[in-house]
Amino acid sequence: MESDAQLVVRAHGDDPQAFAELVKRHRGHVFSIAASILGPAFIPEAEDVAQEVFLKVHRSLRSFRGEAEFKSWLFRITFNEAVNVRSRVRYRRPSCDESALQLALAAGPGPDQEAESAQRKRDLDECIQRLPEVYQSALRLYYWLGKGVAEVGELLGIPENTAKSYLHRARLLLHGMLKERGYSNV
Amino acid sequence: MSDMDPREFEIDHLLQRSMAAPVPDLSQDFEQRLADEIQRRSQPIGPRGRIVLIGYGMISLGVSVWVMRDQGLGLPEAAAVIGITLALMGAISLALRSRALSDYPSVHPAGNKNHHRSRD
Repeated sequence: MESDAQLVVRAHGDDPQAFAELVKRHRGHVFSIAASILGPAFIPEAEDVAQEVFLKVHRSLRSFRGEAEFKSWLFRITFNEAVNVRSRVRYRRPSCDESALQLALAAGPGPDQEAESAQRKRDLDECIQRLPEVYQSALRLYYWLGKGVAEVGELLGIPENTAKSYLHRARLLLHGMLKERGYSNV
Repeated sequence: MSDMDPREFEIDHLLQRSMAAPVPDLSQDFEQRLADEIQRRSQPIGPRGRIVLIGYGMISLGVSVWVMRDQGLGLPEAAAVIGITLALMGAISLALRSRALSDYPSVHPAGNKNHHRSRD
């Protein structure tokens, strides 16, 4: 199998097959990073980010000098693009109907417990929104998208131990925030 | 993740429950749409588009010079103002583009405005 570096060289020479192979290889990762920053309510926007990232990469492939690994460069562009889009869509109505998610999450046996569970979910979402972007991203990659700690680190461009420590700190911060909102039993 | 303290353990359970939403995937036609968009964007401007663009540029330039001269500026000064503005715009757009492609985002949470310091 050809390495990314070899494909990049071929794509430089206007080989569309090489660029298509790079897209095929990394589209899932790019989409995961974008989705982890934008959250489950903005999936179509995450797909737009993935498309825009590959368009940028296609346009700028010549400026890629191979000093860093191709995928690190790609993930960095994705993170930047997703953060930019997030700041634009933050106050927009979510694209996805979150009631579908709520339905999947409401596991309480009675209506009271369901309402309490939904309220807790809303509070938790609000607390997550207040975390630094990289913590939010790490949490969503780990808990929602099911990535391992090593992969979270790879996608965010940080060592595995740092990813582990971000998850640890994010959980402690969330615990504190929920306590402040009156949840004694988180 | 077995080295969690009880507070983390509670949150870990809560996050597992509350983030158990379906994992999204890119749409099936993502690659096709991307290829179409690349094709569309890489098409050169046709002769008619080029004429319109050049005409627009010339008219804008003419109007700018006319307005500046009307305000009392001489031709060399007006040309300098336009030249400097164009050069500045080019430099800013180049800088923005290279920054978008090279800067690492605020991966360290300390660099983030929303950072909340842990009380632990």
